[in-house]
Amino acid sequence: MLSIKNLHASVEGEEILKGINLEIKAGEVHAIMGPNGSGKSTLSQVLAGNETFEVTEGEITLNGENLLDLETEERAREGIFLAFQYPVEIPGVSNLQFLRTAVNAMRTHRGEPEMNAAEFMKLAREVSKQVDLDPAFLKRGVNEGFSGGEKKRNEILQALLLQPKLAILDETDSGLDIDALQVVSKGVNALRAEDRAILMVTHYQRLLNYIVPDYVHVLAGGRIVKSGGRELALELEERGYGWLGVKDEEATPSAAS
Amino acid sequence: MKPAPTLSSAFLEPGGHSLPAPLLELRKQRGTALVDMPLPTRKTENWKYSSRHLKLTDGLAASLPATGKDGLSLSLPGYRVVFRNGVMVPEASDFPDLDGILIQRFGDLDDNDAAALAERLDNTLDTRAVQMARLNSARFEDGLYIRLDKEAVLDQPLFIVHEVTGTASGSAYPRIYVDAARHSQITLVEEYLSSGDEPVMVNSVTEFMLADGANVTSVRLVMEGENVQHIGATGVRQAANSRFESHCVGFGGPLRRHDLMVRLEGEGGECKLNGVVVTQGKQHYDNHTSIEHVAAHCDSEETYRNIAAGESHAVFNGRIHIHEDAQKSNANMNNKNLLLSTGAEIDTKPELEIYADDVKCAHGATIGQLDKISLFYLVSRGIGRREANTLLTMAFINELVEQIPVQAVKDAAQLRLNEFFDQTFQEA
Ligand SMILES: Nc1ncnc2c1ncn2[C@@H]1O[C@H](COP(=O)(O)OP(=O)(O)OP(=O)(O)O)[C@@H](O)[C@H]1O
Ligand SMILES: [Mg+2]
Repeated sequence: MLSIKNLHASVEGEEILKGINLEIKAGEVHAIMGPNGSGKSTLSQVLAGNETFEVTEGEITLNGENLLDLETEERAREGIFLAFQYPVEIPGVSNLQFLRTAVNAMRTHRGEPEMNAAEFMKLAREVSKQVDLDPAFLKRGVNEGFSGGEKKRNEILQALLLQPKLAILDETDSGLDIDALQVVSKGVNALRAEDRAILMVTHYQRLLNYIVPDYVHVLAGGRIVKSGGRELALELEERGYGWLGVKDEEATPSAAS
Repeated sequence: MKPAPTLSSAFLEPGGHSLPAPLLELRKQRGTALVDMPLPTRKTENWKYSSRHLKLTDGLAASLPATGKDGLSLSLPGYRVVFRNGVMVPEASDFPDLDGILIQRFGDLDDNDAAALAERLDNTLDTRAVQMARLNSARFEDGLYIRLDKEAVLDQPLFIVHEVTGTASGSAYPRIYVDAARHSQITLVEEYLSSGDEPVMVNSVTEFMLADGANVTSVRLVMEGENVQHIGATGVRQAANSRFESHCVGFGGPLRRHDLMVRLEGEGGECKLNGVVVTQGKQHYDNHTSIEHVAAHCDSEETYRNIAAGESHAVFNGRIHIHEDAQKSNANMNNKNLLLSTGAEIDTKPELEIYADDVKCAHGATIGQLDKISLFYLVSRGIGRREANTLLTMAFINELVEQIPVQAVKDAAQLRLNEFFDQTFQEA
């Protein structure tokens, strides 16, 4: 489904991703772990089409189609979804309006009729319950004043509404209490499907108890330095990143240059 | 040194001679005083950004024809008075005769009322600060006098439609005076519209005199075309415990100017001034507001938002003057500005003059652009650029649009806003 070959990306002239190779097939769940500043969010943002990052080399295809040719909104309509590490607050745009606009943009793209306000309200309430978010949050500004955990649940709410082909979850487990972690995991597991792939960025193997990945990759210094099965996560938890030969300056490329 | 330009004498010949004698007399007096009136220039502080957009060619001096063809079709709820080119059109107007409320065009006033009005006209305005309003006083050909007796309540909004027809070049001078006695209430909507495309100037003046406890809401929607220079002034005087609320929504043109001056003259007075301004292309919009806290224990709250696209220019100048005796004044002024293109310009200036020591006065002004990260977040959900930009821009003014107390105005403003968004934002 997703194929990343020799991907290099930089920000403000500084190279962050230094040749990423990754193949993800439909139905698979991949986890990416790695030290702070190693480029995990950069990879996620590049996949979603954030123009802050410049792709200098390499290619990304989604079901054979060149992703780099597509605008962010076109990628989303083709099925790419990114749950942000730091979801954005947009006061003045109600969450409900935001969600409905997004869902209808997707429906229009697929040639389906738009949902009217009443139909959508019903759907949004149901999905809110699924992620244990009080429907009152639909009335508030997008993420406005939401707690960290509420923001993460709102991201999963969006994923459930938009039903992406590839869901990229950037630290959706961070900052969650134990109950919330279960709720979010249930949401993510509900997304698992034969025709869908999930790429999870996480620091904690804890999440992987709930959402069992098919593959675990270690991203360090802008490269994938190790890949394995889920047991790799346990090993990392025990031994840290040092044994992989990941040095501090590799973990933080900005310090190296 | 080049002599300052003065008002051409062509402007000092008003039409419409069927006004009651006291008003004709007043108009003549005001006209005489205007001979050699210096026009605002770049050096005139309160016109420094706008004087170059003020084009008083002799062609504009003519009165526009009092009747023209029905240019605009309107369906408005509530009571309605239509002025075409500054003169009331009775056939298009519709309002009932109500106990304790006089709503009458200047031309139909009896001698007593006309004399009473002549005494009042201009008494809410500092005509040194609003130079151009003086021209209205010398030129008005008709107008509307609204007088609410003690405790009278107008049960529905009164829509005043000011329409100008640009089938020939010229100018119109709409004039309104509202006298609100103790504890009376009214919501007045002024809509400024135009048809045709010959150059036209609208110079309008609206005055509100609020007695103790009066409650007045003024809604102003400015939507004239690209051929119209619009210069408006609103004067407000408030006695004790009165409340004045103003909602201005304006779309740009070659020149749009509004001076809004409020004097809080009795204790316990309250005013709330909201404004939304949208400009595009090469348009120019200039809002000057002034709030004078003359008496103690008054509250004022002002919120203005400018949105400028293309190469347009918006100006906000907000003055708050707290007089020496106005202790316990509470004044809040906030102006936020959104630039939608690199070619647009916004100038904002708070002017605070505080002579009392026990007051609360807060002000803030910001100029910014749409947030790129917010935009990315929206489009990453499949929302198109045009819609995403529209959502973010609406977010900037939503709060003010929501507060407009008249649904028909909200709807009309939203329609015009949607046109603006369609013209301003593109898909990637
Ligand atoms: N917009 C930006 N401008 C400048 N530097 C940036 C920008 N975004 C990311 N970087 C830098 O790129 C490097 C990788 O950042 P990234 O956010 O991808 O790390 P990460 O692996 O997600 O870390 P964490 O685990 O802390 O979330 C960091 O050194 C970071 O400072
Ligand atoms: Mg990160």
